[in-house]
Amino acid sequence: MDSPPILSLLTEDLLVRVLANLSDDSDRKSFRSACRSFLRVDSLHRATIRILRPEFLHGLLRKYRAVEAIDLSVCPRIDDATVSVLFGGDAAAEWTRRLRRLVLSRAVGLGWAGLGMLVRACPGLEAVDVSYCCGFGDREAAALSCAGGLRELRLDKCLGVTDVGLAKVAVGCGRLERISLKWCLEITDLGIGLLANKCPDLKHLDISFTKVTSESLQAIGTLQKLEMLALAGCGLVDDIGLDNLGIGCPSLQVLDVSRCDKISSSGLISVIRGHSGLRQLYASYCFFELSTTLLYSLTELKNLKTISVDGAQVSGSSFHMICTNCKFLVEIGMSKCKGVTDTGLIQLASACPNLKILNLTCCDSITDAAISAITESCRNLSCLKAESCNLLTEKSLDVLGSRSLLLKDLDLTDCSGANDAGLNYLSECSELLCLKLGLCANISDKGLSYIASNCTMICELDLYRCTGIGDDGLAALSSGCKKLKRLNLSYCNEVTDRGLQFLGHLKELSDLELRGLVNITGTGLAALAAGCRRLSELDLKNCENINDSGFWALAYYSRNLRQINLSCCAISDVGLCMVMGNLTRLQDAKLVNLPNVSVQGLELALRACCVRLKKVKLLTYLAFHLSPEILNTLTARGCRVRWD
Amino acid sequence: MDERLCADTWTESSSPANELPKKVPPDHQPFTNFNLQQYQQKWEEDPSIQDYAMSIEPQFPEFNLPCETPSSVACNPSNQTKNEPLDASRIQDWDPRAMLNNLSFLEQKIHQLQDLVHLIVGRRTQVAARSDELVAQQQQLITADLTSIIVQLISTAGSLLPSLTQTLSSNGTPFISQLGQLSGVVFPSGPNLNGSVFPQNSKVSDQSNHVDLTGNCKTEQNCIEDELKDEDDADEGEHLSPGSYEILQLEKEEILAPHTHFCIICGKGFKRDANLRMHMRGHGDEYKTPAALAKPNKETNSEPMLIKRYSCPFAGCKRNKDHKKFQPLKTILCVKNHYKRTHCDKSYTCSRCNTKKFSVIADLKTHEKHCGRDKWLCSCGTTFSRKDKLFGHIALFQGHTPAIPLEEAKGSAAGSSDRGENSEETNKVELNLGTNFSCGSGDQNGNDAKGGVDDPPSFFSPLTFDTCNLGGFHEFPRPLFDDSETSFSFLMSGSCSYPRKTREESCSDKT
Repeated sequence: MDSPPILSLLTEDLLVRVLANLSDDSDRKSFRSACRSFLRVDSLHRATIRILRPEFLHGLLRKYRAVEAIDLSVCPRIDDATVSVLFGGDAAAEWTRRLRRLVLSRAVGLGWAGLGMLVRACPGLEAVDVSYCCGFGDREAAALSCAGGLRELRLDKCLGVTDVGLAKVAVGCGRLERISLKWCLEITDLGIGLLANKCPDLKHLDISFTKVTSESLQAIGTLQKLEMLALAGCGLVDDIGLDNLGIGCPSLQVLDVSRCDKISSSGLISVIRGHSGLRQLYASYCFFELSTTLLYSLTELKNLKTISVDGAQVSGSSFHMICTNCKFLVEIGMSKCKGVTDTGLIQLASACPNLKILNLTCCDSITDAAISAITESCRNLSCLKAESCNLLTEKSLDVLGSRSLLLKDLDLTDCSGANDAGLNYLSECSELLCLKLGLCANISDKGLSYIASNCTMICELDLYRCTGIGDDGLAALSSGCKKLKRLNLSYCNEVTDRGLQFLGHLKELSDLELRGLVNITGTGLAALAAGCRRLSELDLKNCENINDSGFWALAYYSRNLRQINLSCCAISDVGLCMVMGNLTRLQDAKLVNLPNVSVQGLELALRACCVRLKKVKLLTYLAFHLSPEILNTLTARGCRVRWD
Repeated sequence: MDERLCADTWTESSSPANELPKKVPPDHQPFTNFNLQQYQQKWEEDPSIQDYAMSIEPQFPEFNLPCETPSSVACNPSNQTKNEPLDASRIQDWDPRAMLNNLSFLEQKIHQLQDLVHLIVGRRTQVAARSDELVAQQQQLITADLTSIIVQLISTAGSLLPSLTQTLSSNGTPFISQLGQLSGVVFPSGPNLNGSVFPQNSKVSDQSNHVDLTGNCKTEQNCIEDELKDEDDADEGEHLSPGSYEILQLEKEEILAPHTHFCIICGKGFKRDANLRMHMRGHGDEYKTPAALAKPNKETNSEPMLIKRYSCPFAGCKRNKDHKKFQPLKTILCVKNHYKRTHCDKSYTCSRCNTKKFSVIADLKTHEKHCGRDKWLCSCGTTFSRKDKLFGHIALFQGHTPAIPLEEAKGSAAGSSDRGENSEETNKVELNLGTNFSCGSGDQNGNDAKGGVDDPPSFFSPLTFDTCNLGGFHEFPRPLFDDSETSFSFLMSGSCSYPRKTREESCSDKT
């Protein structure tokens, strides 16, 4: 069969370009199922792959010859044995050599032996992400340090990594350019000092929420190429450290000193003096008040694009200073700032026409006038967070809908001004991707249907406690917003089984919160499970009327489910065993207060899935009733048991 | 040429025939058994190292030359009789009470000897299962003890002859000048010795002690001065050319002798002159005068002092005066430590790591203070007691990384067998001592568990196996092993074969 003429015009390089612009998974899926030549282009040029079932990895890699990056973070069972099967052997040799990036985030079952093997098998590794592998320690870091070509490493929340492990990495991977050590609580100044000594090429360094002191900053100051430094929540860093930073790090562009309790304006000023090239400055929850000297020093930052001063007290003069000194701001964070007024924001809006992202969370004294001024001057506004701004009325939504046509992200949580008429105005923002309407009790199915009919791009919608929303609204949603991925319907008590049946038409839906929906039963859940095959996170807490038939359907259909919250559900022993045993991708389960489940039933259910679980929440008293074997097994596999 | 001449005279004068009797002086040792009292008088101004050396060393007087001593002992009596009229310096007259003392000392010593031999006999039977190396080490220790006792016996017995002491006292040669272990002959002049070499009062080193002795008995000193005059002159003439200092060389035996200061009355040996002075007070009022008790180097001395430097007797050593690039040692203490460290066997093994060996017991003590706590290990093998030191080291050297302790590394049954043995041994020692069992075993627990995996099953209690097989979760036997640790270590209470044990026992004997 001859290919249509239009496709013959599309040469392979053109197709590759088209493909490069398709970031969304579903779009890519549509692309490759269009025709054989598209599929060929896709399989030849696909560079990254994220898999849920590692058993298919070899087959997939035979098809995709150009894969350089593998993401195993959502696989439930990545352990030493799996890794040795995947990466060991001759079959793997060919593709492991071209592997550049590897995401092993939350691979809690993996040990140093497996990691070592993996690193040896992939000599070309340039980036590894082992963040949130809470059990990882020095031995794992040592295994990683064998990857000499590593440029990028994420060790976030690897709680066991100490200075020794970091030293291993620093010595072994001397060409590191990016490293993130967020939440590595064992890291001290010694480790950071050695890192700065051994890895002179570092560009990005994140040591947020660690216990480093100003001494580290002295060492970090020697890094000539450092562009990004995050120090959020480093409570031991003080002005002396910032002074040191001020005379070092000539290439610094991004600095995050949020929640550093010990620093004051003078420290930050000395950093600003030394770095006129600073582009982004995050100083949330540092200062009680924004001092005028600090704001004055911003004059030197000609390239400043982002400033975040959440939680500080601002005054009219502060706004004036910002307006006169920072003309090119793109992003401003003023959440929970006291003293944010309409006049201030009007000034700011006229001074910063390039503004795209504005966070005004909890600035409760602003009115429609401010929003009007902002929409008038900042035509590129793409993100507005106005949670708890109770003085805003539908007029604000009107101006947003008529002027801010590029708006993608809007947070109106707890804004009583958001009503059906307002949503009608807002539906003009057809680019909207994320809309948060939680606690907006004034919206009803009618308002939602306006949004659903016009904002078809929406992929995240929060309707938490929007008690006016019912099945009809969901019907409109399911027909309009086909791209919806995340939906929160918690405590929308009007929703019944019929609503869930509509939701079953949203094929893309992956995260769904249905907390406290007492009117849904097993029938609704069965319909939902049968329809939403991509469902990966489901919260059914307090859905007391779902019976086992619903859970059986869930166990049968939702094979991609990764997280489930069944707390306070009426699930029985058998139902729980079915769910936990059959859902082979399940990694995180909250199983608190299950009135119809016996200890034996829970034990059996846990045994059925103990090799896959990464996180489980149980009632405290069960610690003494469950068998020690199952608890030992869980902990040995790296599963974190949270006792409630 | 002159130099060589001088060296010749030295070697002559300090030939073993002369030295041995001095080293183990007759009836100087009646109180060696009660050394402990002496240990307790620790002198503030002394470096702590010296303290350590003092507290332990006497127990192993001959430890460093276990094979040599027996021969020297054998020739001892003959030497003594032959040489004493010439050099041994006895001021005190023959005293029947002292003789009685000596006799009771003899008795005591013989008992000790008996005990030791008993110990050997007992050991032989236990030893059967032990490794050869351990047996050898132990025997060495016992031989050392044996040797020292026999030497003391012989020397004390020799002193019992009244005629000898009489002649000695009439002879009147000051004993001390030779006891000072500078092979007597080489002194340039008596008064010169008086202390200005080491002006710091804080340093109660062996030299100043020696000087003190000479000061205390001026008259005798004068005698010897006269006698030594000729040699001194020759000596000085020789020394004029090389430099501003004078070189002294002690003999090996002197260096290794436990004491350097001896009581001229009862012969008791001391490591420090200050202790000797305290001791002398008991011998009469004349020793209680401020002058007698004063530090010798406070005495005014009109004549300028020649700076003294020391040479190591080991031929070919850089510290030996015949070496082309001779570098003199500053004090006698330096000589002693240098000689032991460089030219003696390292016979003190650390009980914790069982790898590090030392010849100076103070070094062992210093090491033991940190051993085990030296957990900061570099990949190059260097250990550090402090993390920042390790990181400083790593920052300096290319490619060095911190090593991660083995216990963590060996997740599986790969625990090396020798590790298991080590922990076994320590446990045994602790059990044998009967005290603080728990203090050391805490560190060793990790090893125990790992060692246990390789050990024959008979070491496990049946209980351990039960828990292993329970539950059917064969994938995770590790935590179960951990549980069995305590029972395992209690089973280890077998017979003792630990090298350090003898020392610790003897320690407890004395208290």
